[in-house]
Amino acid sequence: MPKDSLKTRLEIAKNKLSKKNLYKNEEAPSSIGTAFKLSTELVSAVAVGTIIGFILDKTFGTKPWLILIFFFVGVVAGIINVFRSAKNMQK
Amino acid sequence: MATNPMNQFEVYRIGPEIKLGAIDISFTNASLFMVISSLAILLIFNLGSKKNSLLPSKMQLLSELSYTFVSKMISDTAGSKAKPYFAFIFSIFMFVLFCNMFGMIPYAFTVTSHIIVTFILASFIFVGVTIIGFMKHGLGYLKLFVPSGVPAVLLPLIVVIEIISYLSRPVSLSVRLFANMMAGHTMMKVFGGFVISLGIVGGWLPLSFSVALTGLEILVAFLQAYVFAILTCIYLNDALNLHH
Repeated sequence: MPKDSLKTRLEIAKNKLSKKNLYKNEEAPSSIGTAFKLSTELVSAVAVGTIIGFILDKTFGTKPWLILIFFFVGVVAGIINVFRSAKNMQK
Repeated sequence: MATNPMNQFEVYRIGPEIKLGAIDISFTNASLFMVISSLAILLIFNLGSKKNSLLPSKMQLLSELSYTFVSKMISDTAGSKAKPYFAFIFSIFMFVLFCNMFGMIPYAFTVTSHIIVTFILASFIFVGVTIIGFMKHGLGYLKLFVPSGVPAVLLPLIVVIEIISYLSRPVSLSVRLFANMMAGHTMMKVFGGFVISLGIVGGWLPLSFSVALTGLEILVAFLQAYVFAILTCIYLNDALNLHH
């Protein structure tokens, strides 16, 4: 039947297309973009942590302590961010 | 002739000064280029979708290609659940792309080379995605900050770290776009200045660099718009399909 054969041909074509897409996804994006993404990930978390520490310090009047603590928490968060996006890239 | 490479980023007022209370809301060159890029997008997509012929014209081809490009990007990264947010991501992508590309025209102003513009864009995305997450999952969305399998002693520290890492998203999103655009345009201007100062004898080398940089900058302009949109999709995916 012509209709059936068209259907199977459509199926085959669709399969091919999805396979092609899968292959395309595995292609690595440009490495300079990757490097830049990771570095901003790290820096922005540190900045956000420090800003939060600064604001909390101002509100509670505990001048140097919270900014110090939140700076290091921000560093940890940045490293976790970098790890996560690196893991996502390898998937 | 302005030789300072940072002169190109100067925002100045066009027309009369308008004040809303203490806030200056006058029309600037930045607003002019935002209006120009929005109008260009509207024009292209209106012309492209006016006549749906089977044999597409150039405008129709352009709009259809960009439609399929963004819709494929969304379905690849955020899945079928993100389909209702197509219009939002498409507008973001097109706006950033057109702002970047208009900035490549000589004497034009690059809107996205100002961190406040990119930061506002990123904050809108961040707030929107957070609201979508809370609407879809209710208070269960807060589980995003509590990873599974963490000992109870470490939990307060981990939650703080997770919150900081979540809040750093709009910052990294905006800094990436802004830094790429500003660095590229400054570099082009610096090399252009070398051409002038070295004159006809030694100016050929920086001139060739300038040509190469222009090509690179057009690539970066597209790539950064793409990255901006794809990260929006990834954040949307986190909000729609809660998993950690």
